[in-house]
Amino acid sequence: MLDRRGFLKFIGGGALGTLLTPAPWKFLYDAAYWTQNWSWIPRLKYGASEYTQTVSKLCPSGVGVLVRTVDGRPVRALGNPNNPLSQGGITALAAAETQLMCSPARLKRPLKRSSDGAYVAITWEEASALLLQKVKEAEASIACVSGDETGSINDLLSAFLNLSGSQNFYRMPTEEQAAQKAWTEMGGKGRIGYDIESADFILAIGANYLESWGTVVRNRKAYSHARPTGEEHKLTFAYAGAAQNNTAAGADFWLPSRVGTEIVVALGVAHLLIRNGARSNFFGYNDFAQLTSDFTPEKVETLTGIPAARLIAMVDAMTKAKKPLIIVGSELGNGMGALPIMAGIACNLLLAPDYDASSAGNMVNLPFPHKALTDADEYDVILSRDFIKYAQGVADKEEAPKLLLVYEANPVYALPKNAGVEQLIKKSDFLVSFSNFFDETASQANLIIPSAMGFERYDDVYTPYGSGFISYTVGIPACMPAFDSKPVADVLIGLIKALGYNLNVANAPELIAAKAEALGANMDTLLEGNTFVSDEKGPMSTFFFNAKLISQGLTTQTDLPLAVSADVIRGIGTSSTGIPPFATKLLTNEQLVGTFMVAQMNKATADKLKVRVGSKLKLSNEFGEVTALITLFEGVQNDTLLLPCGLGHTAFDAFSQNKGENIINLTGVKSETGTGLSTWGHISVNAVKV
Amino acid sequence: MIVKNYGGRPLTPNLHEASGMGEVHNTASQNTGKKSSWLSGITPFLVGLVVALLFGWLVYPSIMYSKEKQPIAFNHQVHLEDAGMACVDCHYLRADGSFNGRPTTESCATCHSVAMGSSKEEARFIAEYVDAGKEIKDDWLVYQKQPDNVFFSHSAHSMETCAKCHTYVYPIKTEADLCKTCHIDMSTATIPPVYSENWLSGYSKDTMMMWECEECHAIPGHRFGQANASNACFVCHK
Repeated sequence: MLDRRGFLKFIGGGALGTLLTPAPWKFLYDAAYWTQNWSWIPRLKYGASEYTQTVSKLCPSGVGVLVRTVDGRPVRALGNPNNPLSQGGITALAAAETQLMCSPARLKRPLKRSSDGAYVAITWEEASALLLQKVKEAEASIACVSGDETGSINDLLSAFLNLSGSQNFYRMPTEEQAAQKAWTEMGGKGRIGYDIESADFILAIGANYLESWGTVVRNRKAYSHARPTGEEHKLTFAYAGAAQNNTAAGADFWLPSRVGTEIVVALGVAHLLIRNGARSNFFGYNDFAQLTSDFTPEKVETLTGIPAARLIAMVDAMTKAKKPLIIVGSELGNGMGALPIMAGIACNLLLAPDYDASSAGNMVNLPFPHKALTDADEYDVILSRDFIKYAQGVADKEEAPKLLLVYEANPVYALPKNAGVEQLIKKSDFLVSFSNFFDETASQANLIIPSAMGFERYDDVYTPYGSGFISYTVGIPACMPAFDSKPVADVLIGLIKALGYNLNVANAPELIAAKAEALGANMDTLLEGNTFVSDEKGPMSTFFFNAKLISQGLTTQTDLPLAVSADVIRGIGTSSTGIPPFATKLLTNEQLVGTFMVAQMNKATADKLKVRVGSKLKLSNEFGEVTALITLFEGVQNDTLLLPCGLGHTAFDAFSQNKGENIINLTGVKSETGTGLSTWGHISVNAVKV
Repeated sequence: MIVKNYGGRPLTPNLHEASGMGEVHNTASQNTGKKSSWLSGITPFLVGLVVALLFGWLVYPSIMYSKEKQPIAFNHQVHLEDAGMACVDCHYLRADGSFNGRPTTESCATCHSVAMGSSKEEARFIAEYVDAGKEIKDDWLVYQKQPDNVFFSHSAHSMETCAKCHTYVYPIKTEADLCKTCHIDMSTATIPPVYSENWLSGYSKDTMMMWECEECHAIPGHRFGQANASNACFVCHK
């Protein structure tokens, strides 16, 4: 019988023997390989790489992209050298679009709100039947707001509402609406455009030209082409804004101006241009010259904070330029109104060498897009409609729609609290959200239709705002939808057909083909991924200096002690995308610490407020309040706080929620004097240390 | 005084003398009155040693692997010798440098859309894959599949980088020589070798271990010049 001692000997011998075999080492190796089979470890796809030329529908710049797929799975979005708005470049948001396709906030199937408020998954047949039923019940009492700025889907939605007997199709408010209003009020009969490629001097007033304004990749490409490293620069760039952002960092002249003084800066520039000898044959010049006569550099310094000597030096350099361009835009990217932009157009008219009915200096008069469907409204008609005014009207007393459709837009998050959106939703009988993600608006919907994302569907991008030429690119699906989502165009075409209307298009590709035909573009070439480019000009216009209307923008505002400068970070998404999981690393400690938003201010302001780095401030005004931590940055104007945009989501996923606060909650809608446009871009606050 | 000998062996005389003892008692045999058996002494130790050696060298390697057949008994030799094909007709580098290791059903069907001979396996391939629209690539068992945390680039291990120096030492004269450095030589195989999969790791018996990679990568001379093959982690693990 083996006793204890013998057993231990046996074990000892066995242990030694085992160590003299490859078994333990092999076992450890196998265990290491086994760890690579754990379910949470990402799996790679192996196979042939393919590149599909398509466009980003999430990035407002309309940038063309190449989507790389491996064995059919999208893995990366790259810039498309064949696209004039990309030229090989890409925005951070478009680059994150392949990852966003698998975002945790992605809607994976149709959802219906049940009686207890919870969402239940339904089939596409059930969703389509419910949508059809609600459309039939609503009859003409339908309203729709679209977040798309460039696609033929707007023609489809507009045609659908017109056929239903409703005129309430709106686009989400964008700066293009204000700019177009400004262009029209200055005599433009076409669409506003900016010829940045041929400009040898660009002054961006408020417009965050190198980070988020307009066709931002094209802006940067034009900038880099004209300023090759180590060679003579063919472009001088100036920027007037409240913070030393990346656009300011790229400027030869940074004019640190107070928030909301864009119109004063433009009139100050005009004053100096006239002083330097600029004259114009355009009608109304004398009135405009009279208007600007008061805006001496000294007065501009008092009103805006821009040192007079720096303004004079900048305008002297501009005077020597052959093709200067002045761009006025909102730091917030929206809600500024038309009057400051009109002042900018007036500067361009001053700089125009001769009278020209097709342009205002380097601002060009583009044709409006041709509509794809005869039943749709014209582009300029849709653009002129003010969604905020409609929502506020419903909130006040007007009849609410029985059915409210929201297409890839997030008005609950993106618009001020007093814009009337929440009341519009509350008063509407039924809200349908066509969305990619579970955003703040979708989370209030009765029916959620999951929309296939841009890389999964046929779509199109027609000349985005900020461009200076006609371009049309077809979005070609690079892959199948990642989840049980469908292209909304196909869903709507099916709905319209079920209602008995005839649109002459059977699916999304046919809708795009109709658009291409209307534009005179070759569909076969477009489907190969090529962009249709045209130098077609808009209708002959009679530009003039509308000094009387511009002067209405000079009404004094009663501001609270601190101004808020908005830091728009394109990479952390739009109101419709939330923060891409891939892009959270773009947020620095100067923008977000833990769950707290960070306000950047200079030391003079901090001393005035008796706060130091790390102090917590409650910022409030009549519209709302937010809390922010303080950090110091000398690149911010006095009495100004630089606050990041795009935070404070309550919907989406863990990558967007509990990250700072939404500064839109500090904005309130006002009506612009003279134009009646809804404005909300100018923010001022009181600050209390907490 | 009795000194217990716990090892069962007599203590050395010097020790007894040093302790002043004139007699040594073996308590185990005296107490039981039995002779020591094979279960005592060094035997259990030796038995354990031998059992472990046998298990570790002979049993363990065989029980750890399942043996599986490829979905089709593909004949490499016929394709190379009779059909006049080259390895690179199926196993090639794509334009972007990625490696096409396994041909697709579609590429096989360029010749085998209908049966070219009387082989039962060819007929089965056409019926089960070509006609059924099924992808053979998905079913084929990869002898040297690496986990995703290993980024092996076939294009980096080319004749250009390896064969230029390896003319005398470990000579690499043809691309086949280069492939055979790591891969099983299939050129004369009439049926695919049995695929052995490790039940723990889920990888093939032929999957290369890191030390095998390091046979080249850890050679200091390979860090420079034509090879430029550092042994740093990020060279293979991104």
